[in-house]
Amino acid sequence: MKRHLRLFALYFAQYAKVRLAYKADFIIAFLSSMAATVLGFGFVLVLFTKIPKLQDWSFYEILFLYGFSLIPLGFFNVVSWNLYQFGDLYIIQGRFDRILLRPVNTLFQVLFEKFRLESLQEVVTGTFVVAVAASKLHVPWPVSNYFWFILMVASGALIYLAVFLMLTAVSFWFEDRVGIVPPVFNMLTFGRYPLTIYNVFIQFMLSWIIPFGFASFYPTTHFLGRTSFNTYFYLVPVVATSFFMLALFVWGRGVGNYSSTGS
Amino acid sequence: MHPIIEVQDLTKEFRTFRRREGVWGALQNLFVRERITIRAVDRVSFSIQPGEIVGYIGANGAGKSTTVKMLTGILVPTSGRIVASGYVPYRDRRHYTKHIGVVFGQRTQLWWDIAVVESFKLLKEIYEVSDADYRERLGVFSEILGLKNYFNTPVRKLSLGERMRCDLAASLLHNPPLLFLDEPTIGLDVVAKDRIREFLKEVNRLERTTVLLTTHDLSDIEELCKRIIIIDRGKVLFDGDLREMKARLAKYNQVKFFLKDRSQVAALARITTNGISCERLDDLTYLMRFDREHYSNADIIRNIVTTLEVSDILVEEEPIEDIVKRIYLSGEVA
Repeated sequence: MKRHLRLFALYFAQYAKVRLAYKADFIIAFLSSMAATVLGFGFVLVLFTKIPKLQDWSFYEILFLYGFSLIPLGFFNVVSWNLYQFGDLYIIQGRFDRILLRPVNTLFQVLFEKFRLESLQEVVTGTFVVAVAASKLHVPWPVSNYFWFILMVASGALIYLAVFLMLTAVSFWFEDRVGIVPPVFNMLTFGRYPLTIYNVFIQFMLSWIIPFGFASFYPTTHFLGRTSFNTYFYLVPVVATSFFMLALFVWGRGVGNYSSTGS
Repeated sequence: MHPIIEVQDLTKEFRTFRRREGVWGALQNLFVRERITIRAVDRVSFSIQPGEIVGYIGANGAGKSTTVKMLTGILVPTSGRIVASGYVPYRDRRHYTKHIGVVFGQRTQLWWDIAVVESFKLLKEIYEVSDADYRERLGVFSEILGLKNYFNTPVRKLSLGERMRCDLAASLLHNPPLLFLDEPTIGLDVVAKDRIREFLKEVNRLERTTVLLTTHDLSDIEELCKRIIIIDRGKVLFDGDLREMKARLAKYNQVKFFLKDRSQVAALARITTNGISCERLDDLTYLMRFDREHYSNADIIRNIVTTLEVSDILVEEEPIEDIVKRIYLSGEVA
């Protein structure tokens, strides 16, 4: 564990060094990431010039939800770069061989060989927006909430990771690029609005199949003092851990399949 | 002595689908798929002693890389047994990989974007090499391989030869007792090849590192290996001493001779009789092959100098390429 922490720091420092060496490239990536975030908030602003409330959610409540959803997503985005390219780079081009030749956990290597540094912007922006919204709403904020907040962010990031890890692991069985990642990725945006505005089918799906609701909506309701989903709030870490364990299991099976088929 | 690698009845089968061609075929593929099983490695057995350098050779698709992938723990065998350095490679993968070094000539093990020396530093941490060992080994390697000049160059900017040298150094930073090389000199020029061979000999001499290398380039083998294993269509055709193989399997000797002038060409027909063939290499250079059992070198040379006016004569054994080619073609060792 200690060794892995040190390796993580080294991998991160190495990658940051490379990334920052190409300043123009990094600045462009940073600006486009920022632009995407700003556009997202712009949409919420425009929406609320047309309507006073979304269901019974006020502008600042939606802002809180939207801002909160960005924080775990930002952390996830920092490490997810290699997951998107996994089928191509690691399976088809065969880089996974090299991963198997090193005395380090396979998933550790895949996640931390590349970082998307600019996505840390989402974490900062999200936190800022949440702070502004919370102060406008006069949300009561006991000290224990800092603990819950961090736990919820960590769980959220774990949920995103678990979902995309499972989708990525599919490449171990089907070499051909699988087209299920983009649609699921688009579903991330569903979590930025109150789950209750969707029909029952989507609500169920976002809770128990692809549990993005647990990454943003259920934590937010609790922080905003909406008590109707309290049980779900306490379930967040449980859901996150279980899905992650499941994802690890699928990943492990995938690695086993790779080494017996040699694709 | 205890062997460092023991392989018994090692077999690897791949299951795949027969792909039909064309649009109609592609549609058919979607619904009905015909399974086929390919046996890439077929009951291969051998054992290797510590300190040996063994050449593992075979034509394309003979099963060389598949064997190496099983020996390094990347692939799980379909059946059979491997014990290397005391481990079952695929089962104890993470411990085992600390005891081996691996170089794939076609693919780098280093990080593409970062400077060579930074890659080395990462590997130092990954393999938990002490500072003192790291400094010492890097010093030795960079001296023999001449790495100093591009320590700070990103790997993607290196030439193939430079990259290969870095890969080799990287694979040995943790001083593994076992080194696997898959086509280590592929695509390299003569000087680069030479440097790599010298380095391997040196490492083998100093550390008694056991080396198993696959190659297409039989000059690698002649330079480095005492022992070779020839495989074809997944099966071992020959396993033994290189010199012994030559003695046993070489059929021809060859004589290269240089004619004084063109007037001699007409006289050539007189010496190519039974079991002697003559091939024109260029205007005045000819290569004659003859059966070792029927003629002695002395017979042939006498024959040449009495019939022809030559400026030089060179007697050679049958090149190992030709022997191996014959083995591939016949699919067995006579």
